[in-house]
This record gives sequence, structure tokens and C-alpha cells, in this order.
Amino acid sequence: MPDSDNDESGGPSNADFSSPREQDRFLPIANVSRIMKKALPANAKISKDGKETVQECVSEFISFITGEASDKCQREKRKTINGDDLLWAMTTLGFEDYVEPLKLYLHKFRELEGDKAAAGSQPPPPPSSTHNGAGVPVGYGMYGAGGGSGMIMMMGQPMYPPAASSGYSQQPPHHQMSMGGKGGAYGHCDGSSSSPSGLRRHDGL
Amino acid sequence: MDNQPLPYSTGQPPAPGGAPVAGMPGAAGLPPVPHHHLLQQQQAQLQAFWAYQRQEAERASASDFKNHQLPLARIKKIMKADEDVRMISAEAPVLFAKACELFILELTIRSWLHAEENKRRTLQRNDVAAAIARTDVFDFLVDIVPREEAKEEPGSALGFAAPGTGVVGAGAPGGAPAAGMPYYYPPMGQPAPMMPAWHVPAWDPAWQQGAADVDQSGSFSEEGQGFGAGHGGAASFPPAPPTSE
Repeated sequence: MPDSDNDESGGPSNADFSSPREQDRFLPIANVSRIMKKALPANAKISKDGKETVQECVSEFISFITGEASDKCQREKRKTINGDDLLWAMTTLGFEDYVEPLKLYLHKFRELEGDKAAAGSQPPPPPSSTHNGAGVPVGYGMYGAGGGSGMIMMMGQPMYPPAASSGYSQQPPHHQMSMGGKGGAYGHCDGSSSSPSGLRRHDGL
Repeated sequence: MDNQPLPYSTGQPPAPGGAPVAGMPGAAGLPPVPHHHLLQQQQAQLQAFWAYQRQEAERASASDFKNHQLPLARIKKIMKADEDVRMISAEAPVLFAKACELFILELTIRSWLHAEENKRRTLQRNDVAAAIARTDVFDFLVDIVPREEAKEEPGSALGFAAPGTGVVGAGAPGGAPAAGMPYYYPPMGQPAPMMPAWHVPAWDPAWQQGAADVDQSGSFSEEGQGFGAGHGGAASFPPAPPTSE
């Protein structure tokens, strides 16, 4: 199933991106505002221009990190940006503090994806997870390839306490969580991010 | 290193070498002791924030990946706005959803510190501008907010404006309101109080309160928002989607 959303030719040939709508350039201000409030005391207020400024900053953050990760993929003759590329880009661009929690988060995500792939209740793999690249079987295989690109090195940076660092390695491989019911409800991650104003649930790669 | 006990418990000591703090323009003109204490306080808060985030990431569960704080499709569209970006793995927007949450939280915390220095309870654009100007890692954002925005309030406590220019008007009134401000910094002409108010910080952000929510739902996500996760999960599981873009 060809997925035009992830077309290799990129933006110019895709009408959807040649003239992006204003609202699509930013994340929804309600979501941004909700997260901002978590960082503030209860009696704090946020002006509209304060919310809009952070909204603009987040889009710039995404473009900034993505651009660096994309450059790395091109240098290495790879076509797909994966999680490790983003973590590498964040380290390179000075966001070392982000990498530790995000590494744990990504590890958890892949763990859950692995559980889902291994679950017997889903014998046929969802078609939306099929990858355009020839030779890449399913999404799960991609994660394996991503992992093979090597761990993020933070040489020369202040290291976290040993306890915190070992927290990652302590994760048991193929840890089985009792989430049979959740697995069913969880469905396919790609399809669970439908946005009212944006793309439909065709995020399959 | 901050030797003060943290005002809140994270169940884990803060990591050494906290978030980098940019050099303060005009900082040399300020009295060293109060300035140093204020920076220590900020670093302590950010260290606690990052320690908490590491804890939180370990507790991520299936519901976290189902109910993202931010819509993945929109993140993907922003990524694809770059013509050089070709294919994106499924995990990239998921990772960005969490990364953007951390970014928003850090930027907001740093912005709020500036608002409090100016004795306001409303976070404004110029607070964000000040946070960007002070933080090296946010240099890529200097074009997003015009630099003039960061100078709207000369004489802020951290000496963001040139020293000697402008006066912190709020410092002139009686000590009662000043004593209540955890980040109050007395005017440069006056000696610092022996027991400054910033030793009793009033900052109590929701992300720390999130620990209670974790016990219930295990995530920051709120019950009301699902981004169609339930429907998406149900719809995408049994049958294959009939159409594609």
C-alpha cells in the first residue's frame, strides 16, 4: 500500500505541504497551554501572547531537531529518521538533559510495540505498518534497525548518578507486561493519533 | 553546588550538573551573594524537574503512548515541512511528543522565574523572551521573539537590563509585600536582608503534584483528552483501513 504522506520526493511534489495552513504550522494552543500550566503554580495566569509565543517556540524546536537529524540521515545515506537520530540530534544541539528521560521513554515504547507484535491475538499485521522501503518487513523490524544505529554517547557531558543511569540498563529485555486487554484496546499506535484538523489515521510508514 | 534541602520531595536526589544557565549580561554589576543564591535556587528547581522527569519516563505505560499530550499527526506535519525530510519512523513523532512536553515545561519554568522577579502572576511574552535570552540552549529561538521584547522591564532582579539603568519600583514600598515574594531581590542600592525570602520558595508547580495523578492513571494525560485514541485503536485493529492518501 503506497503511503503518499511519507513520499520520498518530499514537500514540493506534495500539494498538502506546498502551502501549509497556518494552523498546521503549530501545535494546538490548548494542548500547549495545558502543558504550560503544569509548570506553574495554581494561581499563575498565562497571557494569550505568552501561549502563542511558546506555541511558536515548540514548532521551531521540532524543526530545529528534525533538521539536524535529517542531515545525519543524509550523511549516512539513510532515508528514515528514527528515534535514535532524534536523540543524537538533541545531544548535539545541547539538549542533553532531555536525552535521559527520552531514552527511557523510547525504550518503553519499543517494549510495548514488541509486546504488541508478539501478541497472538493479532495474527495478521496491520497493513498500515508496512514500510515503503523494500526489504523492510514491518514496523517492528524498523525499530530493530534503529536500535542498531548505536547508543547515544554523551562524552564530555556531566553524567547522571549511577543509580539513574543503571535504571535504563536494568530494564529486563522482552519484559512481559500483563496487558492483554490493554493490547486489544491499544490497537495500532500509528492509528491512534488522529487529529480533527489534520491528517486522518494514515500515519503508516 | 546547592546545599539547601529541596523544598519538595522527588524521591530521588537531584543529579549533579543541572541544566546549563547562560551567562547573565550585566551580572558583574550585581552583589554576588544574593545573585548566587538566586541562581542556586533556579538550578535546584530545574534539577528537581529533570530528576522527576527521569522518574516519570520509567513509569511510562501503554496509556501514555495512547493518550499523547500532543497530536502526533501535527508533529509529523511540522517535521515534514522541511523539504529534506523524507521518511519518518513511527517512533519519531511519539518521541517528539514527549520531547516537546519537556521543552514546554522547561521553557515555561524559566519564563515563570522572570515573571516572579518582576512580581507578576501572569506569564507574558517578554518572560518567554527573557528565558530565551538567558539560556544558551535556546539560542535557536532568538529570531522567534524580537530582542526588544526582552528589555521591556529594565532593572529586573537578575540584572537582565544594564546595571544602574531603571529602578525596581516595587522595591521602594514597605517590606511586607517584598518579604512574601520568594524571589524578591532588593534594589542594588540597599544591602541584602540577612535572611532573604528566597530561602522559603513558594513555587509549587503542577508537574510535582503529578505524582498523585501517576498513582491513578500513570501518566500526565488527562481523562478528557484522547485525540480519538479509543476510536483509532478500535477502528484500526479488526479491519484494515480501506483507503490511503
